[in-house]
Amino acid sequence: MRKDHRAAGLLRRLIPAALSVLLLACVLPTSARAEEATSYTYMWDEEDGWFRTQDAYLPERTVTELGLKDPGDMFIDERDMLYIADTGNRRVILYDIGKGVVAAEVSGPEMTAPTGVFVTAKGELYVADSGAKKVLVYDRDLKLDREYGKPAAPIFQNTNFEPKRVAVDSGGSMYIISEGVYSGVIQLANTGEFLGYFAVNDANLTLSQRIQRLLFTRAQLANLIDANPAVFTNVFVDKDGVVYTATAGIEMNGMKKHSTDGGNMFKDPVWSNEALVDVYVDKDGLIYTCGTQGYIEVYSRAGEMIFEFGSQVTNSDVVGLFNRLASVAVDSRGYIWGLDAGKGYLQSFKPTEYAQTVYDAMNLYEAGHYEEAMVKWNEVLALNQMSTLAHNGVGKAYLHAEEYDKALEHFKVANNKAQYSEAFWEVRNTWLQNNLGWMIITLLVLLIAWKVLKLFDKKKRIDACKEKLSDTLHHTPIVKDLLFAFKSLRHPMDCFYDIRRGRQGSAVLATIIYAVFFLVFMLFETSKGFIYQQVKVENMDIGSIVLGFFAILILFLTCNYLDISIHDGSGSMKQIYIVPAYGLLPTLGALALVTVVSYGLTYNESFLLTIILMVGIAWSAVIIFTGLQTIHDYEFGQAVRSLIMTFVFMVIIAVIGIILSIMWDSLYRFLTSVGKELIQNVLS
Amino acid sequence: MFCRKNVKRALAVLLAGAIAAGCFGLALAAGGASSEGPGDVLPPAEGAYVPTNRDTRPAPERAEIGCADLMGFSLLYETDLVRYYWRDDRDVIAVQDKASGYTMKTGVDLPYKDEVTDAVKALKKSGASDEEIIAAAQSYADDLNTTYVGIANSLVSVEYYDGSRTAFMGSAAQEGVTSTLSPVPGTDNRFVLHVDYQKPDIDLNVYLTLEESAITYEIPREEMGGADLGRMLSVIFTPFLGASGGRLNVFDPETMDYVKEDAYRVPGYVLVPDGSGALIRFVDNTSVFDPYVGDVYGRDPATSTYYNYTLMDNVPINDPVMPVFGIAHGRDQMGFVAWADQGGEYMEIVVNPDGTKSTTYTWAYPRFEYNVEYYQLYDELGNGFFDHLKEPFDYDVSMTYSFLFGDGTGATPAADYAGMALEYRRHLIETGELTSAGLTGDIPLRLDFIMADSESGIIGTSQVVVTTADDVRDILTEVVRSGITKVNSGLLGWQKKGESLSKPYKASFSMAIGTRGDFESMMEDMAALGVDVSFSRDMTTINQEMTGYYNTAVKCVSNWYASVDKSWLLPDNLPTLVFGYATPTKTAEWVRKLADKVGDMSGSLTLSGISNVLSANYSRTGAVTTLPEAVALYRKTLEDISGGMKLNLTRPNQYLWKYTSRYLQMPVGNSKYIFETDAVPFLQMVLAGTMELYAPYANFSFYTQDCILRMIDYNVSPSFILSKDPSWNLSDTYSANLYSTEYELYKEKIADIYGQVNGILREVQGMDWVSREVIENGVVVNTYRKDGMERTVIINYTGSPVSVGGTTVPAESAVAAG
Repeated sequence: MRKDHRAAGLLRRLIPAALSVLLLACVLPTSARAEEATSYTYMWDEEDGWFRTQDAYLPERTVTELGLKDPGDMFIDERDMLYIADTGNRRVILYDIGKGVVAAEVSGPEMTAPTGVFVTAKGELYVADSGAKKVLVYDRDLKLDREYGKPAAPIFQNTNFEPKRVAVDSGGSMYIISEGVYSGVIQLANTGEFLGYFAVNDANLTLSQRIQRLLFTRAQLANLIDANPAVFTNVFVDKDGVVYTATAGIEMNGMKKHSTDGGNMFKDPVWSNEALVDVYVDKDGLIYTCGTQGYIEVYSRAGEMIFEFGSQVTNSDVVGLFNRLASVAVDSRGYIWGLDAGKGYLQSFKPTEYAQTVYDAMNLYEAGHYEEAMVKWNEVLALNQMSTLAHNGVGKAYLHAEEYDKALEHFKVANNKAQYSEAFWEVRNTWLQNNLGWMIITLLVLLIAWKVLKLFDKKKRIDACKEKLSDTLHHTPIVKDLLFAFKSLRHPMDCFYDIRRGRQGSAVLATIIYAVFFLVFMLFETSKGFIYQQVKVENMDIGSIVLGFFAILILFLTCNYLDISIHDGSGSMKQIYIVPAYGLLPTLGALALVTVVSYGLTYNESFLLTIILMVGIAWSAVIIFTGLQTIHDYEFGQAVRSLIMTFVFMVIIAVIGIILSIMWDSLYRFLTSVGKELIQNVLS
Repeated sequence: MFCRKNVKRALAVLLAGAIAAGCFGLALAAGGASSEGPGDVLPPAEGAYVPTNRDTRPAPERAEIGCADLMGFSLLYETDLVRYYWRDDRDVIAVQDKASGYTMKTGVDLPYKDEVTDAVKALKKSGASDEEIIAAAQSYADDLNTTYVGIANSLVSVEYYDGSRTAFMGSAAQEGVTSTLSPVPGTDNRFVLHVDYQKPDIDLNVYLTLEESAITYEIPREEMGGADLGRMLSVIFTPFLGASGGRLNVFDPETMDYVKEDAYRVPGYVLVPDGSGALIRFVDNTSVFDPYVGDVYGRDPATSTYYNYTLMDNVPINDPVMPVFGIAHGRDQMGFVAWADQGGEYMEIVVNPDGTKSTTYTWAYPRFEYNVEYYQLYDELGNGFFDHLKEPFDYDVSMTYSFLFGDGTGATPAADYAGMALEYRRHLIETGELTSAGLTGDIPLRLDFIMADSESGIIGTSQVVVTTADDVRDILTEVVRSGITKVNSGLLGWQKKGESLSKPYKASFSMAIGTRGDFESMMEDMAALGVDVSFSRDMTTINQEMTGYYNTAVKCVSNWYASVDKSWLLPDNLPTLVFGYATPTKTAEWVRKLADKVGDMSGSLTLSGISNVLSANYSRTGAVTTLPEAVALYRKTLEDISGGMKLNLTRPNQYLWKYTSRYLQMPVGNSKYIFETDAVPFLQMVLAGTMELYAPYANFSFYTQDCILRMIDYNVSPSFILSKDPSWNLSDTYSANLYSTEYELYKEKIADIYGQVNGILREVQGMDWVSREVIENGVVVNTYRKDGMERTVIINYTGSPVSVGGTTVPAESAVAAG
């Protein structure tokens, strides 16, 4: 499972332990161990991240006898001839996959450091030679046909031209990645004319860099900010002429599929390997990428992640694990080939039946054969019940078949809220159509029954009961306080004036309201309907939520009290405690309502929930503001200032708390180290 | 006394006539290197089966009779089968098969370069005749430096710390080392080699016992001495016994000068107990590899370099579960299998494939560790320093090399990996570690169940139940009624909180999974149907959500708790992703407790952790439990409880085989190192018939037709892990990696796989597995015998039908014949 967010830190720890990982890996038993593959295969789920699945590819052939030295790139043509840019040996090798032999070798004085290869449909071999600073073109007979050097265009004169990778479209236009060029992919016409930069990566600046950019002079910026965009590491043109690029150093959208204007055709963000070094597209449009750390990814045509396999363990000498993965290519049978630049060998991977079933299911669905696709997806599910891809596939097929109940189940497992919502709308619609009639009738019957009851209640027994109940409630202190709290929502100034005078307001009730609010808030956070529950309970940091809730509350009360102590507010601590509690009642109601209603609404009605929540919060804000203003006997401006100061105090105390916590951590470590030293070296 | 090396070395140069160019240097021009590459290199004709290192290839070609030159050797001992010769100046024993004359030497038997070149120079200077110079001009190693020539010749070498680096010193090293071989009084086949390394100041005695066709080396710990013993890292025996390859400087009479030549590469292989077994053939590698290091019984977490490590997303390599390796030369010619009688807990099996350490030799040897380097942390930030144990490990070493000759029709088993398995099996049976299990009829089927596990909840953790006790009854009843009668089952996650967070020793039942009564009733019902259902438990893997670590978890020599980070493999949202190891004492105590509490409910108990995790335990003052103590403790514990119940163990190490009734999750293949050329069922051949053997769960990438054939080939029974509810319920639990377990989905697959495997293997159940031959790539013939009856199982992995001995085997299928 890739943990990229912490990969950098882990890497530092892992380098010294890399060997021990391999040696020790078996010390603890793992529950299910694949016997055929050497790394686990993962699929991707937006919410849960990576999850393991059946092996998608098995290591097949390891070709070690080619004597490669720091190879850079490879390409497989339609005849399954594998071209390797054998950079360190200044040659290009043609390896016949079918026969398992080296079919030819291309070298010559013109070739100094071949780093990229591409073969066109016409059989022309393009070699990016960063040493010669040229693109060399060889004809079908592997004779040097022409060379492309640095374009003569004036605009290009100050640009470095050291071609690292090259790809060519059917019109002969070349897409070149050049060493040290941040402006984008260089596009040359078949005449060698510079056509411009085909695609450009954006520079991602941190917040501090953005601020520096605003404030610093140009000279200062030149010294301080490395504002260069991430560099392209590879480029590929598929059989339809679509250009794909790979960019390293970014976690999202490192792999792009470009439209003719160079824009990215993937609408949704595509997760990509941070060490991305190559991209390849097979005859069916499946996209393959690889990273130097040893991972290979497979994406659908739409950029949907299908599989990832490989491992970051290096120097293992185990088939399928790479020392430094430089390139990936795919042959006509769908076998993936990986090129290890570190140890100079080729490794092929054979797709398993499982992978083939997934691809078949996707192809069938895309072709509109939903029923056949569902059969295939169910085969996938039988082998991996956690496959979101398969659950989505089956769910969509059920959706098309108008079997909404079944679709709901699968979309729920796949955590596909958008399509769940769509299916739910249909289910709810059917339910309403079936039940609305009797619901209205029941309501009418109850209404009529009530009216009839009142009509026959000559002695007004019902009214008497109501009155009695009301009396009883009004004489129960806590209920009385609660009714007052509700009254304060309608008449805040009057009610809070009473509180200020000490005539009303109950700290006990306030405590109960806080407790109930906390419970409702937790329910709102954890138990909304599936569509609106954005984060699963298992993924929540419940401790932080609870701590945050009470920390904010206590900080607010304390800081407000601190502020009014300085600025002569007249409210007491008890009153400060009561006002927010009473004021939170509308929000409490809104949270409860939203939590309940979220079970019956689809995405289409989300505005209703937003309105309810906004009204509740706004109402609470008004009440709390009015309440504080009243109990402190502040003018409007004073009340605003008081609140601002309260928030400022809160921030200051929070920052101090964080600093103290860090210092305490260091102090604790220091003390324990001293203690251990004492015990180890002095006392013993 | 046979010699004092320093004196004799000078004489040796003069004595040598046309000295052999090393063990295999004689046949320099004979034959080329094998064309086989380390992985698969050359696919054969179109459509033919393409073997990978998951397969076994046909046996190697016949080897030239090398090593026959015994110049400088004297006869040490002779038996009916073997002559043992000794060369005193180089500490080399030559073992000669009397029938064929094939000879193996314990060292390369090469002179030091300086000795030879100086002698030649001296002769040239003195005006000696060409004949005299040619006679004196021995070949010497081109790709071994002086230190390595010493080690390559030596019978026993030590590895030690020399300041900041690790250095080697062989018993036949040039630098002042003395070694003296003397007979042990009162015996004619026992000798003692006293070695004094001097620099470092280490001396030891190696006792050699020469038997009918075996040599045993013993080093008593109490006979090791010297001021630098604390710096000694390890002891290694005869690293170049059976080695192949090498590049030599050979004297050319034409030019009267030395020329470089590749030595004869013997067709053959090294067998390593990697997984089920792997062969590393002697091939000419063009890539450079790191050595294979098989840490027998796994690396001891308590003495590992770092107290913590991270499990990553590569499939873990297989640690050897037995202290054994072997080398075979040619086709049915000569080989040996070597095992540790004592000291296996500290043994490593090291193989240097051609290309490692800049040599073109492939060489293999056992390494017995006496000290380790570890990182002593002094704060939680990771600051620390490297240190070593103050005292070396305290244990005796005993290592037996049993030599094999011919095709198995003679006095020893065949000189191949199958023969090695049979010989090792014979040894284990002889020592009482293995006994026949008397298996007959249908093969058994293993159906485990995952019942529950824990996930994070709003408050703490919550239990996710996917199978109840009643579900187990229903499913097993259905399976039995479908016609599969020989079934046994283990229950994982049967305790409250499930598998990962419940205390290992607690019989804590819950209503949701099943009360004690529910389990009792279900197990009784199943027993009535002939199904053995057992509780399953990992007794070693612990975490701090499960139990406190004080006095419970293994501490390393650095005084930190040994830990494993599984965050790359488990969902992020779990309460803890870091695991520790229960101490051997706790593990043994917990096993006894659990057996006491639930032993009366079932006829067997399924255990993991204790079965294949071997760890010492340390405190600030030193070792609390050493590895041999842990082994003794586990053996005693399992011996005591195995009297009343069967023990089903997950991948048990060799020292527990005596108590194992069912071997679970047996590896079917190797770790797939690039230089491993073949996978072989060595482990299965050793254990066949002595216990029930089960393949890894077929659920997880082990269900294809190729895998089914592998089960038949390796003679293992299928196993599955099942649940009643869909496994997606487990997606946020510690069992998230069990991604496909729902019984409904596996019903047909169970019947299909079991039917195919049982259909063949029931024919040979209870028979002795005597040989395994690869007729051609993808076609394997296993031969079984009993009471004069012979049956073969022919497995055809290829995509075309094949005919073997008149039996036609359809594509991708197997047939039992005879």
